[in-house]
Amino acid sequence: MRVGQADEASEPSCRSNEVTAVTLVAQVLLNGVLLGGLYAIMALGLALVWGVLNIVNLAHGAFIMLGGYLAWYLYSYLSIDPFLGLPITAGVMFALGYGVQRGLLNFIVRAPMFNTLLITFGLDVVITYLAQLLFSADFRTINPSYAGNDIMFGPLIVPQVRLLAFAAAIVLTVGMWLFLLKSRLGRAIRATAQNLVAARLYGVEPRHLYATTFGIGIGLAGTAGALYGAVSQINPYIGAALTAKCFAISIIGGLDNPLGVIVGGIVLGVVESFALLYIGATFGDVASFCVLVAVLIVRPSGLLGRTA
Amino acid sequence: MLRIGALVVGLLAASLVAPVSSSAADISLGASVQLTGPLANTGRYYRDAYGFAVDRINEKGGVKVGNEQRKLALKIYDNQSDVSLSVRQYTQLVTQDKVNFLLGPFASNFALVDSAVPEKYKIPMVQGGGASDQIFSRNFRYIFGTLAPASDYFESTVEMMTKLHPEPKNVALLYADDAFDVSVAEGTRPLLKKAGMTLALDERYSTNATDFNSLLSRIRSANIDAVLVAGHETEILNFIRQAKSLSVSPKIYSFTVGVPSADFRQALGADADYAFGMTAWLPSASLKDKWFGDAEQFAKEYKTKYGYEPDYHAASAVADVEAFAQAIEDAGTVDPQKVRDALAKLHFDSLYGTIAFAANGQIHLPQTVIQIQGGQVVPVYGKDGFIQQPKYPMPPWNARGTSGRG
Amino acid sequence: MKRLLPILATTVAVVILAAIPWFGSDVLVQFGINTLLLAVLAQGWNIIGGYCGYPSFGNSTFYGLGGYGVGIAMAQWHLPFAIGMCLGAALAVIFAFLLGLPVLRLKGHYFAIATLALAFAMSAIVSNVGIAGQNIGLVLPPLNNDLLFYELSLGLLVVTTLAVFQLTRTRFGFGLIAIRENEEAAAVMGVNTTLYKILAFALSGLFTALAGGIHAYWITFLDPESAFDIGLNVKMMIMAVFGGPGSVLGPVFGAFVLSTVSELLASEVTTVASLFFGVVIVAAVVLMPRGLADLSRRFRAEGWRYLANNIRTYRL
Repeated sequence: MRVGQADEASEPSCRSNEVTAVTLVAQVLLNGVLLGGLYAIMALGLALVWGVLNIVNLAHGAFIMLGGYLAWYLYSYLSIDPFLGLPITAGVMFALGYGVQRGLLNFIVRAPMFNTLLITFGLDVVITYLAQLLFSADFRTINPSYAGNDIMFGPLIVPQVRLLAFAAAIVLTVGMWLFLLKSRLGRAIRATAQNLVAARLYGVEPRHLYATTFGIGIGLAGTAGALYGAVSQINPYIGAALTAKCFAISIIGGLDNPLGVIVGGIVLGVVESFALLYIGATFGDVASFCVLVAVLIVRPSGLLGRTA
Repeated sequence: MLRIGALVVGLLAASLVAPVSSSAADISLGASVQLTGPLANTGRYYRDAYGFAVDRINEKGGVKVGNEQRKLALKIYDNQSDVSLSVRQYTQLVTQDKVNFLLGPFASNFALVDSAVPEKYKIPMVQGGGASDQIFSRNFRYIFGTLAPASDYFESTVEMMTKLHPEPKNVALLYADDAFDVSVAEGTRPLLKKAGMTLALDERYSTNATDFNSLLSRIRSANIDAVLVAGHETEILNFIRQAKSLSVSPKIYSFTVGVPSADFRQALGADADYAFGMTAWLPSASLKDKWFGDAEQFAKEYKTKYGYEPDYHAASAVADVEAFAQAIEDAGTVDPQKVRDALAKLHFDSLYGTIAFAANGQIHLPQTVIQIQGGQVVPVYGKDGFIQQPKYPMPPWNARGTSGRG
Repeated sequence: MKRLLPILATTVAVVILAAIPWFGSDVLVQFGINTLLLAVLAQGWNIIGGYCGYPSFGNSTFYGLGGYGVGIAMAQWHLPFAIGMCLGAALAVIFAFLLGLPVLRLKGHYFAIATLALAFAMSAIVSNVGIAGQNIGLVLPPLNNDLLFYELSLGLLVVTTLAVFQLTRTRFGFGLIAIRENEEAAAVMGVNTTLYKILAFALSGLFTALAGGIHAYWITFLDPESAFDIGLNVKMMIMAVFGGPGSVLGPVFGAFVLSTVSELLASEVTTVASLFFGVVIVAAVVLMPRGLADLSRRFRAEGWRYLANNIRTYRL
């Protein structure tokens, strides 16, 4: 094992040769798993809000985009590393989410189900176009000095940033799981998912509880945005495609359990990577949506969900 | 319910009597451009360049029609990156705003659909945003294009590759699955064959793909020397970033778009270095222009005015406006039919190059190979051979400095 | 007399609409075609979403299939438009029967997302199908006859609306409403819920596909992104919900009002049009979550307090 350092200018360039078919498969599997970690963290907030508040947040991708921009500004203007800046991004986005739930979504909690879809769609449009006015349509990338470093395991390459993003996803998901399972607030949130009256027994004011849950969801979206910016690119229009992907992951994994989202993300990442390798580079989306439809039909509550 | 009905009728009536905006003395040009939506990033070149060219022509006294000097006016709508809205806006420009002539939108699929409007109303459109061969294969008489044909994009690059040492042998051709990029790929395959290179990987990928890890892993395992990518800027950004994270560094990689644009280099920073690309236009002082002096001066003034560097999209858009100005002067009238005929016969030098349309309405310009070296776009290979030394082969990622280059 | 008045008013409205091409501008006619087709989509959605209570997010699939029926027939096989329409409609109905069976077992959000996933999947699949022109698209022979397209679209809207009107008077329609209100109870009452749901899905798909076919021929260009435009699902749903889901004319009014607002914004305040449209949607949902139909019913009694009352009723 060897850590590739960007400044080792004298390192000879022979490492990219002689990769056999077996290592190609292993490499693609690895790529898929790492991609899946990123997918999981993107979908975690959506699944939480959907599962607990019964709000399908069509603006989730737009919030991911906002988180990406926030991290980009922190990095570009204040030189705050995107990973070290995660708490700041998450905190600001939590506050935003809390405010949006309290000041807007709260008005229609009891309205017919279509309305939450519509209002979050409207919100998505507003955020996207405000982002274009504020940030311009330029592409942004968060590009810290170690962004290209990688770790070699024999012939396999593990990009360091992706590994960090994957680790962050695992830590956050497990943290989320423990929070929902062990803490008082977390248990109140889980109770809300079953029954609003039950939540009152925990002595938490429902409006505060709703806003907190939505805030956590958006905070997670912001975190995902920062990680996404570090491995891909950000522009005001990335939201819609990310929202669609998050749906697929939440459904595949199930809404009951944060760990399911990790499974969903990794399944999707691996399926896509292999579809791109074996079927063709235009079949990534076909494969992932076919998996989604199949899971919906066979196990509507997700791979790890409780069967209804 | 009836009251709401009345409201709808009222709104419709209001839109019927909307005021006509251009004054009679001006020659008005109209365009529907992507100012918002996913294509806004490139759409702005057209808005800014159209405006700049119209202003400059007016400052220089306007257009001479017969014995009188007339000014140009410009009307631009935002089509929100929505094709069917753009068709309606072009119709609105012709029938309601009564513009004299039409300038094009950005992107091939828009130009393809919008070209039906000039054909229907017999008003010429000069567009600088669509290069796909499909636009010009419908035998339409009122559509003219100032982007070079998609199928020629890699011609100069492949020619240059045969003169590099060591010569790249194994080539990967990746292209997005849209009209433009498929045309590029179809034009490139015979070129590679003629050059005696092996097409080791020939892969179509989904437009807007974000994950290139599988393709990059295949490139790695197939010992590819040269990678040619025909796609869109967002895909190419992801491709380069993921190539870096997987340490994939072929001897040369080249991209159809992105490389000439300032935004692209800014987003990638030092990682943009060594990327090859192509452009039909470079801001060179040798391209003389009646209104702007030369292309170098134009680029400087454009940057001062709009805060970013123009690329070939902007130059192509300026050429569209100039083509109309020149054709109107040649025709001596604003009669659409006569101006259309003048456009077909046009032959003049501009900051974009020599403007002359082939019988199908499309222009022919050679593509200059460019490379990013130290954060700057450097012309490397043109129709007369090497211009400046290309940096070849590309060093592996871990042998590059991470910052301060450029 | 009281029952005749709305019918009379609607007939007069249709006659006026039909006459528009003779005195309106070209732009108005084009706007009209677009709006009428959107109204068909909203009305089609109304059958499955409004009456049956299954919020489909995948009706764009039918729209795309209708478009590709026409596109493949005309551009690849050089057949007349009418055959293309039949092909598109057949594709849509077959699709509804094949996928309706598994998908309609899902409820609420799950159904919504499953249909959305189908829409994505179809778009991705079609961009790999050779005869559909892959992702490059199909170019149809141009026909410069907006009058024809306008009257066709209007005719389709009238037929669709009549079909919905008929629904409200038949056993089938009552069955759908029963499913919406309580599916288990409906089944107990002897409604064949599976069959009813699939028929509603197919009917909704049929009209949507016909609209897609007209649109494809009118625009003369078809690619997966525009044919299976995911945004269209949200548009048709917003129009139906804004107008009043589960009412005969609500979706049509919703489509007319929202298209007009969006079009006026696009031509008056061009660059911030989308932003305003988003704000309009958010405000409309908060202030009148039961749509125009409910507004027109209750506004007379409650006046402006209606808006505040809504917030009071639906907030937590």
